[in-house]
Amino acid sequence: MADVGRHPNIELLTLSEVKEVSGHVGNFRVKVKRHARYVDEKECTACGDCVEVCPQVGPDEFNFGLVHRHAIYQPFPQAIPAAFVLDMETCLGNNPRACGKCAEACEKHCINLDAVDSDVEFTVGTIVIATGMEPFDPLGMTEYGYGRMKNVITAMEFERLASSGGPTGGDIRRFSDGKTPKSIAFIQCVGSRCEGPGNSYCGNICCMNTIKDTLLLKDHWPEIDVTVYYIDLRAFGKGFEEMLKRSRQLGVRYIRGIPGEVEENEDQSLTLHVENTETGLVEQHQADMVVLATGVQPRAEAHDLNKLLSLQLHPEGFLLEAHPKLQPVDSPVRGIFYAGCAEGPKDIKETVTQASAAAGRAVRLMSQGEIAADPYTVEVNEDKCKACGLCLKVCPYGAFEWEKGAKAEPIEALCAGCGTCAAECRFEAITPHQFSDAQIVAQVEASLSQDPEQKAVVFACNWCSYAAADTAGVSRFQYPANQVLIRTMCSGRVDEKFILRAFELGAPIVLVSGCHFVDCHYIDANRQTVRRVEKLWDKLESWGIRPARLQLEWISSAQGQRFQKTMEELERLRREVTPREIAHTRRILKQKLHPPKPKKQARRKGVAAHA
Amino acid sequence: MPEDKAHFKCLRCEAEFELPYTPGKLEERECPKCESNSVRRLKTPPTGQED
Ligand SMILES: [Zn+2]
Repeated sequence: MADVGRHPNIELLTLSEVKEVSGHVGNFRVKVKRHARYVDEKECTACGDCVEVCPQVGPDEFNFGLVHRHAIYQPFPQAIPAAFVLDMETCLGNNPRACGKCAEACEKHCINLDAVDSDVEFTVGTIVIATGMEPFDPLGMTEYGYGRMKNVITAMEFERLASSGGPTGGDIRRFSDGKTPKSIAFIQCVGSRCEGPGNSYCGNICCMNTIKDTLLLKDHWPEIDVTVYYIDLRAFGKGFEEMLKRSRQLGVRYIRGIPGEVEENEDQSLTLHVENTETGLVEQHQADMVVLATGVQPRAEAHDLNKLLSLQLHPEGFLLEAHPKLQPVDSPVRGIFYAGCAEGPKDIKETVTQASAAAGRAVRLMSQGEIAADPYTVEVNEDKCKACGLCLKVCPYGAFEWEKGAKAEPIEALCAGCGTCAAECRFEAITPHQFSDAQIVAQVEASLSQDPEQKAVVFACNWCSYAAADTAGVSRFQYPANQVLIRTMCSGRVDEKFILRAFELGAPIVLVSGCHFVDCHYIDANRQTVRRVEKLWDKLESWGIRPARLQLEWISSAQGQRFQKTMEELERLRREVTPREIAHTRRILKQKLHPPKPKKQARRKGVAAHA
Repeated sequence: MPEDKAHFKCLRCEAEFELPYTPGKLEERECPKCESNSVRRLKTPPTGQED
């Protein structure tokens, strides 16, 4: 951290909040609000004279409120910059000034009680998001008595107690009487892997953190009786199983069963009611202190960040990577990378690995000086554009310059090429450089030029469902061979007119297929697919065409069997469509899509006039 | 946004069922019977199940 503070090429903005990000890779414009520190961070030497005279105190956030700090304080001893900060909410106030003792005590005159927030704006080439996570708050899990019972604490609070820089100087003491506990119980998976209050996923770090804590306890206080209650222990990875073995050898008891309830005894020790799944018995155990191995969860701000940067969240609330295996540190937006728990729960080693990878990815991109963009971008025909702005609204990347009343202009560096804008534009003003309307319609027409009633037209997205067809092929999954596969980069590219053209040419069944929602390679472009297909179902029905002839499926690249099953089902549905129904559809679509021109009427009128 | 339930019909196997529904929210839906995603919301509930 000190290296970061000293590095000539790193500008560290603390007490800052990103308010707006615009632009694209190589040219992101970032607006930041810098909150007032009230202390000149370059001049302050953290001598502490101001703290000595400060009359106000508030909870010390770094120590999870276990102790208090003054209104003017240093967040923690290793904080960068090594300068004090004034928390105006805890202070008696600067407007009107109620105290000002800190400013009087500071010999270097570093304190400015009239400082105000400021805005800064700068341009960067790439962005790395490392906003971290927050520990799960077990207050809602009333069965463990956290918040009510003094000797029930969280793993993070235990961490502060065990730290030599913590509130007890590294002594493990009970909050009820300040005595060293004779027995400590750790309860695993608190707020993790559960249905009720808490999160459904595994916290990833809690098992090893507890094992590390048991080793620390046995090292410093071998006389303390330590018990760990668990569902199963996840000690995977290099050296971790060894640590678990050592912990057991040092006498730590591991009981497979999570206590259903913790009760406080008269002396404020605790009784744990637990079903020991190894003995099958409901047992009662005593402990002087209970440590809840709480899981981790996404920071509340992740949601705002996601909107600010046009990113996507995993259903669990962590930021979603561009590809879980091949691009684990890349966001779906080019030039934005992830490091650490913002992307998912991980330990220090994994975090450092990911951070190094993210830095490497960013540097690699920037060191080139220029980037090669994929050719899958679009162009706007100015004559056809009606300046409605729909393209910008549906674009997952915001890759258009547009203002009310102005024609849209694509930003090629930001465009990822999903083609959703082209499918949505009502004026046919947008032409993708690849997968143009003409190219796709030509494929539809060619594939239905012979025996159309024998075929089902399948629009498959490049990344998932088209790849699933490959998986099915490689895996030798047999399926009917009369489907016509038409590839688009994204299901969002599948224009209503492609589907209607297929029906018009006699296709019995049309399938639109793409990635599952969480896998969409274009952030959330496939939501537009759903919206479009739902609207088209209504339209087909209102025209007297069975909506079931238009199918929708999400098939990931690994789901070869799902692809096979879908193709078999399509064949079943195809057989249900009679030649009569196809002919009827063709007649309707001819009327709807190519209505007779009003020219005829004018002539009739003319004839009448002459008559 | 209020989360409620709505009636849906599978356009593959024709099963009808209820699923959570929030107006305006686009969700990935799956037929509980055949796992198809061709799931369409019925604007009028099926007869005998009016609510
Ligand atoms: Zn179904």
